[in-house]
Amino acid sequence: MKKSTTAKVLGAAMLTMSLAGAANVYAEDAQYTIGIQQFAEHGSLDNCREGFLEGLKEEGIEEGVNLTIDYKNAAADMGMAGQIADSFAADKVDLMCGIATPSAQSCYNAAMDAGIPVIFTAVTDPVAAELADEEGNPVGEITGTSDKLPVQQQLEMIRTMLPEAKTIGIIYTTSEANSESAIKEYEALAGDYGFEIETTGITATADIPLAAETILGKVDCMTNLTDNTVVASLATILEMANEKNIPVFGSEIEQVKIGCLAAEGLDYIELGKQTGRMAAQVLKGEKKASEIPYETIEEASLYINSAVAENLGIEVPEDLSSAAAETFTEITEYTAE
Amino acid sequence: MDFFITILEQGFIYGILALGVYITYKILDFPDLTTDGSFPLGASVTAALISRGMNPYLTLPVALLAGALAGICTGLIHVKGRVRDLLSGIIMMTALWTINLRIAGTSNVPLFSKETIFKNGFLEGLLPEGLLPYRTILVILLLTLVTKLILDFYMSSQSGFLLRAVGDNDKLVTALAKDQGNMKILGLAIANGLVSLAGCIFCQEERVFEISMGTGAVVIGLASVIIGTSLFKNLTFMKATTAVILGSVIYKACTAIAMRSFEPQDMKLITAVLFLIVLLISMDRKKKVKTHA
Repeated sequence: MKKSTTAKVLGAAMLTMSLAGAANVYAEDAQYTIGIQQFAEHGSLDNCREGFLEGLKEEGIEEGVNLTIDYKNAAADMGMAGQIADSFAADKVDLMCGIATPSAQSCYNAAMDAGIPVIFTAVTDPVAAELADEEGNPVGEITGTSDKLPVQQQLEMIRTMLPEAKTIGIIYTTSEANSESAIKEYEALAGDYGFEIETTGITATADIPLAAETILGKVDCMTNLTDNTVVASLATILEMANEKNIPVFGSEIEQVKIGCLAAEGLDYIELGKQTGRMAAQVLKGEKKASEIPYETIEEASLYINSAVAENLGIEVPEDLSSAAAETFTEITEYTAE
Repeated sequence: MDFFITILEQGFIYGILALGVYITYKILDFPDLTTDGSFPLGASVTAALISRGMNPYLTLPVALLAGALAGICTGLIHVKGRVRDLLSGIIMMTALWTINLRIAGTSNVPLFSKETIFKNGFLEGLLPEGLLPYRTILVILLLTLVTKLILDFYMSSQSGFLLRAVGDNDKLVTALAKDQGNMKILGLAIANGLVSLAGCIFCQEERVFEISMGTGAVVIGLASVIIGTSLFKNLTFMKATTAVILGSVIYKACTAIAMRSFEPQDMKLITAVLFLIVLLISMDRKKKVKTHA
């Protein structure tokens, strides 16, 4: 009697196991857990995260199906960023994704000893952040994508759009390392296109009106970086620039929508997708993160806002309007998300 | 297990910061906002020195001295310049933003490829194989303990006694023919030295200096001091310094648990509420004592 029960149980167990095995093959085996840490609430970074999930989905790793996402926002607090990364490591996630430089760094710091791979995105200068070595190769189980601005294309575009302009103004936050490296690049390349760069540094949102007032008196046009603080207050800057009839160029699509004249910019969703595909490779075990050098987005896309051009009385040259990836004909009211 | 170790690591590092805040807030009765600047000051000094190849252990005394210097400046502004306590702190905190940026050179300095007090050949040779995964918590524990014992020793000395008198009964200090202004400056120097030391350790634990890391440091410090001193008020055998460090661990545990069930965006509000609750509880007790008397 007892024996037969054992046999039955064993049989049932084996049946369950084989069934489970079949089911596993069906759902393309393993379940994955990814801890995503985003440094701040910010339109471009949100787009990165959205694209990241899409990129994973393209590779058959879909949230809710075979992927669990633990998403945390560090609210621009470095201590919080460290704590979030530590909690990912304690939960033993399969992969960490750090969006923006400080988050990428804290993820790497926590993941390094726990042996968890890290994928970053929206890191302007991975070499300066020590997330890649001088040759651009990974320093450990970490790789990702950089959102380095296409400075050269931007300068070329501004020159075509405004043949008479001499000075370009840039407002940046002194605490953002990304902005500092972008400005260095602008200053190095501006001469080639006959421009001078005028910069003014701010420490907080409260400084923006005064800084904008000062710099707008000295320049022919303005251009934006991906500076978090400045982008968040772009509406203020645009309003003041419009009063003085000074064109403001953007650094990505969202900024053109809300009233920048044009941008040779990054599509952050695209950047996120590229990152997601890299993450999929690592998760599936096709490649190790340490074998993939970090990537930048191959091609910048030109965005133009024709309504803004009309308001400023600028004729958009034929070359540019035909090259634009997207032209907006209206100015979207700025809404804080 | 890892979860608890993380809490202890963070709690002990911020415990050193809390010891500094304890000196200004509880002993000197001085609301010192310099903390938000002296915490990253310790980190910027550390990052600058380590990236130039200095032995990581030497950054500890240098950061301590840098913080003490910042504290002395706040003290001079307050005592000699006769500026109100809150304002002197705000002035130094604002000035330190630029000073920190200048010292570090840029707003973000990674230390991943450098030796730190937690990761170096010396330590790896010293510790047995089995203890290596716990080296971070061991080093932090040791540093916090040593700091606490030195501070306890100082507090029981004559100078420490005078320092405690400045906050409670400044006439006594004058009666003892000591200048209470100088005692205040000394207290601020010690306090900010400790805060800066915490910044130095935190920067090496996170392996990165980031200019914004000081934001909210004073709040964390105050919350730890208040939690520690009011929760362990009745345990008379426990030294206040121990209570403050435990307060910091409890605070970090609360935030870690809250982080699991709430969105990080809501953390500041949760911190504020937690802070308020502890304050109300401790005030309630004070009242009771008064009515009994």
